[in-house]
Amino acid sequence: MSLNVDFHLDNETYRNYLNGHPVVMHSHHYLALITKLVEDLGDIGGQNILMDVVEESMRAIFDDYIQKNGLTSPFQKCNVGREYYSVFGLGKMIVTGNENGGEVRLVRSHIDEGWVSKWGSHNKPINYFTCGYIAAVFGAAFGKPLKSYTVTETASMAGGETEGKFIVKLS
Amino acid sequence: MTVMRDTVVKSLAKINVQGDENGLIPEYDVLVNLLPVALLNTFTERIMAAAPAEKKKMVEDGLVRAAYECGYHTGCGIITSDIFNDVVLPMVTEGEKDILRGAYAAFTAWGWAKSGIVQLKEGEKMVIRANDYYESDCGGGGLRAYMFRGLCQAFFDLTYADPYPHGMDTFICHQTKGIEVGDSHGEFVVTKK
Repeated sequence: MSLNVDFHLDNETYRNYLNGHPVVMHSHHYLALITKLVEDLGDIGGQNILMDVVEESMRAIFDDYIQKNGLTSPFQKCNVGREYYSVFGLGKMIVTGNENGGEVRLVRSHIDEGWVSKWGSHNKPINYFTCGYIAAVFGAAFGKPLKSYTVTETASMAGGETEGKFIVKLS
Repeated sequence: MTVMRDTVVKSLAKINVQGDENGLIPEYDVLVNLLPVALLNTFTERIMAAAPAEKKKMVEDGLVRAAYECGYHTGCGIITSDIFNDVVLPMVTEGEKDILRGAYAAFTAWGWAKSGIVQLKEGEKMVIRANDYYESDCGGGGLRAYMFRGLCQAFFDLTYADPYPHGMDTFICHQTKGIEVGDSHGEFVVTKK
């Protein structure tokens, strides 16, 4: 892994910091239930709210890292998001594509595997969190504004498939 | 000797969380994640703002429930872990009360909240004070420590309800003060449901 990771606990506030950003630990139970909550709130756009918040929040972290480390190439910038995914404990992704879009394979997934462990397989894809995350990865890699990319989950580990697959398109 | 909170916090805070070769963090019998505070707080505010009045209670309950189940299952993993056995159990002289004190020290050490027990009636009621917790950064109106409420409820269930996993939903936690609404600290009261 090439990502520089500085994880520490502030001795005064007892808050955890990852590369200067406050972070907190939860388990797969938490994200499974948050995912279920946004599904239950589909009539008010719950899934889109989660995707948008993830894209905005992650993008700020990627951009900060890219700027502080003087990264310039799309490949380097894309790797920041890809590697952070594993640092956050969210799994392992393989990213291919260019400025116009691409494809992401999810070979391990905290959210999908957590969902299955908690409730078993689902009848449709559930990884809204990672859709927003991937939009942030591509936006940061190619210097596009927020919501420039549409991400669609076309294969789902929670749905019983061996890998997740996400199609990314420049909007 | 009873549980020495500061010693426990300092010992447990040395733990470093690292994803394995699969990008996963399997610890305490769960998969752990490490998420930005800004993401969680912004999500809470957006989903609360989007919910119409008749659904706000459902959203609140859903956010508390997510933390509760996370805390119940993860909490059990924590208080039965090797590190908890090594650091906390040698100090336990007052049974369940000390286990709960140790659990709150762990709670603090893992960055959930700088908090501690200020009043305890065993098996009946507990009052917790939090001097720093990430949900106090929420920008919305009203008390917002849904995560903290769920975790407090979970820890009391683990300590005083039927043994894991049969003791769920025995107690309930209400937030009575919040830094996010101008109080000097957060206050949380756990009672029988």
